[in-house]
Amino acid sequence: MSQPSASHVALNRRNFMTGTVSAAAAVPLLGSPAKTQEVTQSRARLREPVVTTLRINKQRHELSLDPRTSLLDALRDHAGLTGTKKGCDHGQCGACTVLVDGKRVLSCLSFAVMNDGKEVTTIEGLASSDGKLHPMQQAFIDHDAFQCGYCTPGQIMSAIGCVNEGHAESENDIREYMSGNICRCAAYPNIVAAVLQARGETRGA
Amino acid sequence: MDAAAPRPKENQGEPLPRVDARLKVTGQAHYPADLPAASIAYGALATSSIARGKVTKLRLDDARAVPGVLDIVTYGDMDKIDKPKFGNSSATSIGPLHDRTIFHDGQIIALAVAETFEAAEEAAQLIRAEYEEDKPTASFDSPGTKTVAAAGKSPMFKEDVKAGDFDAAFAAAAVKIDQRYSTPTQHHNPIELFSTTAYWQGDQLVVHEPSQNVTGWKVELARQLKMDPANVRIVSPFIGGAFGSKGPMTPRTAIVAVAAKRLGRPVRCVTSRMQAFGTQTYRAETRHRIRIGAGKDGRITAFAHEGWEVTSRPDLYVVGGTSATGRMYGYGSVLTHVSLVQADRNTPGYMRSPPETPYVYALENAMDEMAVALGMDPVEFRRINEPKTEPIGKKPFSSRSLIQCYDQAAEAFGWARRDPKIGAMRDGEWLIGMGCATAIYPTAVAPCAARVRLTVDGDVRLQCGSHEIGTGVRTVAGQMASERLGVAIDKISVEMGDSSLPPAPVSGGSISTASVCSAVLKACDAIRTKLFAAATAEGGPLAGSHNEEFDLADGKIVAKSGASAKVENVLKAMQVGAIEEYAEFAPKGATPEALKKLYAGTPEFHGGEQDEDSVKYAFGAEFVEVRINRYTREIRVPRIVGAFAAGRIMNTRTARSQLMGGMIWGIGQALHEATEVDRRYARYVNRDLQDYLVPVNADIKDLQVILVPEIDHAVNPAGVKGLGELGNVGTAAAVASAVFHATGKRIRDLPIRIEQLLV
Amino acid sequence: MRPFVYEQPTDISAAVALASNFTTRDDQPTRANAQFIAGGTNLADYMKLGVAEPNRLLDLNRLEEQKLRQIRVTEDGIRFGALVRMGEAADHREIKERYPVIAESLHLAASGQIRNMASLAGNVLQRTRCEYFRETSWACNKRMPGSGCAAMDGFNRQHAVLGGSTACIATYHGDFAQALIALDAVVLTEGSRGARKIPFAKLHRQPGDTPHIETDLAADEIITAIEVPALPWGRRSLYLKIRDRESYAFALASAAVALDLDGETVREARIALGGVATVPWRASAAEEVLQGKKLDDASAGAAADAAFAEAQPRQHNAFKIELGKRTLVRALLETRDMKV
Repeated sequence: MSQPSASHVALNRRNFMTGTVSAAAAVPLLGSPAKTQEVTQSRARLREPVVTTLRINKQRHELSLDPRTSLLDALRDHAGLTGTKKGCDHGQCGACTVLVDGKRVLSCLSFAVMNDGKEVTTIEGLASSDGKLHPMQQAFIDHDAFQCGYCTPGQIMSAIGCVNEGHAESENDIREYMSGNICRCAAYPNIVAAVLQARGETRGA
Repeated sequence: MDAAAPRPKENQGEPLPRVDARLKVTGQAHYPADLPAASIAYGALATSSIARGKVTKLRLDDARAVPGVLDIVTYGDMDKIDKPKFGNSSATSIGPLHDRTIFHDGQIIALAVAETFEAAEEAAQLIRAEYEEDKPTASFDSPGTKTVAAAGKSPMFKEDVKAGDFDAAFAAAAVKIDQRYSTPTQHHNPIELFSTTAYWQGDQLVVHEPSQNVTGWKVELARQLKMDPANVRIVSPFIGGAFGSKGPMTPRTAIVAVAAKRLGRPVRCVTSRMQAFGTQTYRAETRHRIRIGAGKDGRITAFAHEGWEVTSRPDLYVVGGTSATGRMYGYGSVLTHVSLVQADRNTPGYMRSPPETPYVYALENAMDEMAVALGMDPVEFRRINEPKTEPIGKKPFSSRSLIQCYDQAAEAFGWARRDPKIGAMRDGEWLIGMGCATAIYPTAVAPCAARVRLTVDGDVRLQCGSHEIGTGVRTVAGQMASERLGVAIDKISVEMGDSSLPPAPVSGGSISTASVCSAVLKACDAIRTKLFAAATAEGGPLAGSHNEEFDLADGKIVAKSGASAKVENVLKAMQVGAIEEYAEFAPKGATPEALKKLYAGTPEFHGGEQDEDSVKYAFGAEFVEVRINRYTREIRVPRIVGAFAAGRIMNTRTARSQLMGGMIWGIGQALHEATEVDRRYARYVNRDLQDYLVPVNADIKDLQVILVPEIDHAVNPAGVKGLGELGNVGTAAAVASAVFHATGKRIRDLPIRIEQLLV
Repeated sequence: MRPFVYEQPTDISAAVALASNFTTRDDQPTRANAQFIAGGTNLADYMKLGVAEPNRLLDLNRLEEQKLRQIRVTEDGIRFGALVRMGEAADHREIKERYPVIAESLHLAASGQIRNMASLAGNVLQRTRCEYFRETSWACNKRMPGSGCAAMDGFNRQHAVLGGSTACIATYHGDFAQALIALDAVVLTEGSRGARKIPFAKLHRQPGDTPHIETDLAADEIITAIEVPALPWGRRSLYLKIRDRESYAFALASAAVALDLDGETVREARIALGGVATVPWRASAAEEVLQGKKLDDASAGAAADAAFAEAQPRQHNAFKIELGKRTLVRALLETRDMKV
């Protein structure tokens, strides 16, 4: 992938709208009856990479990305953080769950460019720098809340999100609000036990 | 005590946490598609949209024009490569790019390779095929199927078992049933997507791909690529769920290897979930006819089980569960027959308890019907028909704790509180049903090699080319070494999932714990022998105590008399830094070729029904409670109890988890899982996790696993019976039994769905 | 996926202007070159599958108008900003108390993660999950007009029994929309031809001969808010969703019900049905049956019969008629018995 041009790097969402007419709009300009006073062409071009800044696990990453790149693929293939997993790529399994600005989301269904400037937390960002595990990670070990381990990063991120949303008040709550994370090994009862164990400490973490 | 870590009973090992647990909760467990590789190129598959015919034209111009596209591998590009050979290591004999014939929906027609994942996907979507289409045959009842007898078509299924005169006994039986059952197509759907990453270092090929069979794949891939197997390496340290789907290699692997060779750079292809339905294997749909005759006392006198299974045109894959169902109870007379029905479908393959899931489902649903016909409690009916020897070869069971399982599970479940009257139990608007069924799985074992090294610092390195698919085999192998060498588990590193390690058999058939632990045991015992010999040799720290029994504990050799010596000092006395032993384990009854076959990737399986002295099975009993809404009839399983006896339990934590996962799989089999085939086109319809439903967290509430103690020295040196596939056998029949109890409706076709209960 | 240019308009008028510049008057929003994205949970999925092929994505998440992100509950009713996420609305205390049918319809939809991402406007505009629509190699009149409907005689267990045509029987799978249509919601839009207020019941179009036309919206029209008029008796309302598994699955049948009761007699009933129809489905005939009647098993059954009087089954979905009726009966009786 080619490096972005300097002018492109300088683009931000403000001057997207105020920029001059693009040199080569990829799409023919069709009739626009109203709002002629607005300048409505951006300088972005088809197939041009977009520089996206993500703060991932408190570190700034400036990535030059195809706009089609999902947040998931940006994490895995561009930021080198492969802890976040691809299980379906269509929002059906939850394996790609990360926190964006503290909320759990599916990174496969979000284009990375849409997350410019946001704070992303992945499984790699949970343990403290001295290696001490997040209480949810420890609880997953204690309760054997996984077998193959593939859905586990998504389960743990989702569990933290679930607790922080206030949706871990009862076992039934946890079961319902963790149902977006499929575990094909079916460690579900152990996952519920892990969330119960860690919810108190997670609220404070 | 924590439910996840049951207190060990007799012949059960400690519930140690998994040795790779920390890696798995921190995102540091690297699955094959996680491999960072410089200058990697991305591959995306294009697949056929017809099930039968020929590709007449492939239009590649639009795909090639996508910026970043590097190559398209398609017809003609695999001509110098040998086609796959159907068998344990290869899912099919179809070489999809070797000729333009289409055998099934979703067959690979090209691989687009590009600088980025996005470009590769775009290009693959732009590949346009033109077909000469023939009318395809979808499945049972479709015009154009071909039916052949299954016996002898697979080395795993040699004959249709029988005993006595079924016809006469059935005709004479006082009480009898004659019913038909069916199970649908199912796909494994492990959460890890199927992927291949291939790169070449000179004439050496390295493939990172989730695999349950690295040795078998190495040999088969080398054969396809006409290479020396020594130059092929398959790497698969972590596998994100397998369930049989990653047992046989699929044609994609060689195609990606060829692409990497052509480009001179690493290529990674991650198959989309939709594409996996056509490019991987699946559980064949099956049909069954079961006839049971019994006396009024409940003793079965006649049992017949006929099965029909769908397979592909080119490959005769056999499910074949009658060898187990024919031996389950004391039947008197037995008649079985299995037929294969060929259609225009991809070749089916192993999926968790491949024969037992469909066949035991049919048998156990029939057993429940029979108990109803006899007016007998279903547990009592099984107790009455408990055999002394198996009915086919009249061999004893090496151990059989079925009744203990029923008793313990029934007690924990509260079976005595069940009102046997149909529809008698209710909770508000919810009908309650309770049912039970038997679980059975053959206990097999295969040759296996392992290397164990004990250093002067007390570290142990254990190497074995087995596969950590979530079973905990890495942990239990480490536990075996820990126990035999007297070294704490955290001093033991366990390496698995690489064909450059000592070979292990395919991780299928629930053989891994038994086979791997037997090999590790043998290697460790060789180390012990050397240590004890050195310690008692002249000048050794325990010189003179030759005739004593020794053990290793806490880094010391301990004699029965109480004398002890540090292992460290023994090694120093031997003037070595480490003792390393390479052990090759071959089970009792192994042929002289057994080890050679292990290295060739075609290991012999022993045990099950095949041994001369006894038949070897693990057993269990499962009880479920279903709740069905009075109006809307949705079915839920809020409670399930399973008791299982499987010889020595290496680790109660990992054993319980596997059985728990199996039971939940069983609930999925009962209520959710089915791949729908559009019968007009022989194409799969619900090809993703949106429409192929598996249980979610909210579906599972109260689940209890009971590990029934059992000792069986006959099965293998480790005394272990596999249990990874035991838990999901019988569950669906227990659910069907409970649904009948709640509603009076006998559902014989899986999955049991709302529409079957509305009418 | 086709490549696209990514744009981040900063206010509604800029978004409309961009959209009108890159679309034509006759473009369908789902087929236009330029398309809006908010949560992305539906559009990103369909772009990956090659079902949606915009070459320009207009990201609405940077629009500066704060009202787009606000929920206001007043004596006049509720005003949902279009960019409010499903999860926020589902958890809103006053909505849970005063309009449980709305909160439950959101809570029972999708998963926690998806509810955190999906905007309310995007949710009501979600496109069908018909398997034959999702996979581009099948014939589909909605995806490729005139190509036929593979579902009609294919595997159609999840398909609609109400509101279908010979061209399309794809189900509308949303849940929230059932609550909205039952409560007479109104959708506020802005576009190059000005602002509009569209009754929710007019937002979606039945497939007829043109299943590719899914809504009443123009390609450059943005939903800015959804308004629900006050319903003083909204506390007696619920959403019942019947599905194959306990969570994270589409409805086989669902019912949104609100009842104004005088003792056991129905003063007014609001009923909508999900999982059984091609569009959000107001069951007016069922409402009329109940009006002024004592609500019991018999009248509930009569209402259910009326709701499905026009139902057209196909091979695998015939059970939805019986299931839909029973779902409605159960929902009515449970609503009647609510302690409010």
